[in-house]
Parts: sequence; structure tokens; C-alpha cells
Amino acid sequence: MIVPIGPIHPALKEPIRLKLHTEGERVVKAEIEYGYVHRGIEKIIEGQTWQKGIYLSERVCGICSYEHTQTFAETIEQISDVDVPVRAQFLRVITNELDRIQSHFLANSTFFKSMDHETLFMHVLELREYAMDSIELLTGNRVNMGWNVVGGVRMDADERHFKPILENLDKIEESFDRVRALFAEGPALALRCKGIGVMSKKEAIKGRAVGPIGRASGVKEDYRIGHYTYDDYFDFKVIRRNEGDNYARTLTRFDEIPESISLVRQAIENIPKGEVRTPANLKSGYAMRRNEAPRGEVTYMIETNGNLIKNISIRTPSIGNMDSCAKYMIRDVPTVADAVSTYASCDPCVACAERVAITNEHGKTAIKGFDEVI
Amino acid sequence: MLNAIKDVVRKSSIHVCIVNCGGCNGCDVECVALLSPRYDLEQYGIYVHNNPREADVLLLTGAVTEQWVDNLKRVYDKAPEPKIAVAVGNCPQSGDVFAQEGGHVHAPASDFIPVAAAIPGCPPRPSEILEAILAVGPQAIADRGREMK
Repeated sequence: MIVPIGPIHPALKEPIRLKLHTEGERVVKAEIEYGYVHRGIEKIIEGQTWQKGIYLSERVCGICSYEHTQTFAETIEQISDVDVPVRAQFLRVITNELDRIQSHFLANSTFFKSMDHETLFMHVLELREYAMDSIELLTGNRVNMGWNVVGGVRMDADERHFKPILENLDKIEESFDRVRALFAEGPALALRCKGIGVMSKKEAIKGRAVGPIGRASGVKEDYRIGHYTYDDYFDFKVIRRNEGDNYARTLTRFDEIPESISLVRQAIENIPKGEVRTPANLKSGYAMRRNEAPRGEVTYMIETNGNLIKNISIRTPSIGNMDSCAKYMIRDVPTVADAVSTYASCDPCVACAERVAITNEHGKTAIKGFDEVI
Repeated sequence: MLNAIKDVVRKSSIHVCIVNCGGCNGCDVECVALLSPRYDLEQYGIYVHNNPREADVLLLTGAVTEQWVDNLKRVYDKAPEPKIAVAVGNCPQSGDVFAQEGGHVHAPASDFIPVAAAIPGCPPRPSEILEAILAVGPQAIADRGREMK
């Protein structure tokens, strides 16, 4: 029997259709139907200036909106050989890590909501608000920050911003261990998470799972390693686990939060004085950059014609994660309820995933999944 | 008499369904933030369960993409009367940045279903969304209920 879930469903926060093939209560196979939020963002960016492009790239995805603008700016900077001032690089790290903290909290809270554990859902969302406060304090906005420009960041920050941010981080750390222990050691939750939705390392690589979802299965890629700012000035540990089940994915995200908090602290402690923005002399050319968004690797390929963007291609992490979720994680879960929580555990972000439309020879437009594009 | 009782009851129990008809999900995360203990939506008698069949208020986000042209009306029809739709963010009102050459959107949402109130912003703050639901929700639902008679 096929159980359709979505596009509007109590357990989903974005429109997508899950088709679960079931035998009795057991789910044997799952399919994902995309296409509900395709807006044609890449086509709009073509022929625009970077000022308009960076505004649009922020609206690819609302949850990890920050990393999109940073990667966009870095790609244009790479084309034009612009050296970003060190102070601006540090400010980018602060915002990036605060964004990662709030995104991981949101992903975990959605997972708890999908398991109907209201207490943890509330606790985690409460902690997330402190990260949102810090972001609003620094950039002026809660979600779409508009913080990056080509050549640096929009404005300078000082002690008036850093002190409340550090206080907010203290508040997060105060309750963090208790909330993490509630999940990691609570008997009821662990029983429903351990051994459900298992994806091996081999399958994660085959399904192109990236970010915390891949790292929970033992994949070691983290694109913060290899990024010039992180390599030169920062110290952090890449969190990896080997189980590859719902428990491991949630715990990987939980364990990355203290690392991000420590990165923000390092950045605020060692931030050098100086400019935050250099004038950029735009050149024409092509460049590709990849960065680690909260959900995994984001790739931008941009070709410019001096002032205007000729061609842009964006690859987001969610499509690989959601596809490997449908293929490998939901393949053999015991109940339909577990299938929904497994889907929530892969941190799906539908708005990210849907940008590819393919027109066939008859002029019919179809929106394709990841496998058909590669 | 019965109508008066219904109005009073409806004022303190609003069921909300978030319908993302093709946006960047920035507005959706702000709606989720409303559930957090800081804003605590449920103290006002508002309950979010994302099921159109039980909803009094449909929160529309996003710029009405190709797939939603037919489906939006269908989802709206599934909600029991009296019901209202509230547009959250710029997208359902104007299409925001997506309504330009190359974009695949069919904004505004009011072309497809009646929209009772709109909250501008990209995205609006959670407090603004809450304020709007509380300000227009009970009265608009009651009005709609009388209209349907």
C-alpha cells in the first residue's frame, strides 16, 4: 500500500510529498516528489549586478540564508582578486557560526516535534531565541541579514555588540548540557531513535549525503577545513559519529553547537582592528567556491561579464541529503511514524533544493530530482 | 444567541495551518519561532497543527509557484467555514523579488483565494505576525461566520 504524506501535513514545515510504500506497518520504500517551491531563482539572477544577485541568493533558503550570501560574495571576490580585510573575515565567522547554532537548534526541535516530544521541542526553541537575539543585535535582522557585500561586510561591530553576544552564549551554555542529556540519556527518546533509519558510510557517499547528516554516518568532509579564514586563525574539532541512525544525526548537530560557540568566542577575543570593507574592482571571469552551510556543502559557480552575472549555478546540500534519506534511511523503518521522524532527522530544507527545471524536446518543463541532473 | 456563544468561543480558540506556497521558508521559520516559550502562541488560544481540515486561519507564505496555482484553492476549500487566510510576508502580496523576468511565480495569492489580512516584511518579526493574528483573527472569523449564513 502507498501512504502519501504531504504537501501540507502536520509533521512537515515545508511542502513536499513523501510516498511511503508499506507492507503492513513496515515501510519498505519511499519516494519524494519535489517541485512545490520552484521559483526559478538562478534564471532571475542571470543578467543582474552582484548587488541584486546577492539579495536573491539570500532568498534561496531562509534558514541558512547567511552562508549563501557569504559564498556568493567569496566567489565574486575570487573572480576579481579582492582581498577581504581580516576584521571582515572575523565578523563573517561570528555571523556564520551564530547562524549554524540557530539552524541546528531549529533542526533538532523539528525532529523532537516530529516525535511528539513537546518538552524538548520547547526547551530547544527557547535556547534558539538567544542565538536569534545575537544575530539581530549584530546585523539588524533575524532571518535575512543582508550582512555580506563583495569586499567585506556591511558595517563594523564593536564592544556594544560583542558583550551582549557573549552573555547570550553564556545563557545557551548554561542549559545546553541539561537539554542534550535529556535527549542523549533519556530512555524513552533513545529507544525510538537508536537503530532507526540507519545509513552506512558507503550509502552516504553513494547518496551524496553531506554536512551533519553525512558526518553522522562517518563521512569526514567539513568544508570549513580548507576555508582560508578558518585555516589561518581558528581552531575547532570536526564532529563525527559512525552509527548513522536518527540518534547519531541529532547528536552530531547537538555536539557541533559547543564547537560553534567556541569559534564565536575565539573570533570575538582575537578580532583585529582595521577596515571591514574594501572597494572591489570587478573583473570578468569564472569561479567556483564551496563552503560549509549548517546543512552541508554549498557550491556556487558564477561566470561574470565585468559588471553583470552571465551565468550562475547553485548546488545546495539538502537535495543530496533528502535523496539519500528517501533511498537509504526510510528503506526499512518499522512504522510510518518512524518514517516521518527519520525524514525530519535528515534536516530537510525544501526551498534550498528546488532550483533545477529541465525543458524537454516538446517544450514541456519538468522539475527533476538530483539523480537525473547529475 | 447561539451565534453569540459561537463568537465568544471562537475568539479564544483559533486553529492555524501554515501553507507554504513557494517561498524561501524564512517566514515559516518565524512562524515556528512563534511556538517557542518566548512568544508562546498557545497562551492566546492559538494552536498550530498544520492540518487544513481543522484550520480557522490559513497562514499563507511564499509567492504561489506553478504547482500551487490549482492546489491553493483546493487546500483552501478543505478548511471548514468560517475561515480566513492571512498573507505573511511580501511574497503572497506582490511576489517580492521573484516576480520579475525569469521567475516562475503567480503572485498575488489574492488572485486565487480571498485574503483577509496581510503582514508585510521579509520576513515579518514573530511579534508582528502574532499581533496581526490577534488583531484581525477573532473578528474576521466571526464576520465570515455571519456572511456564510
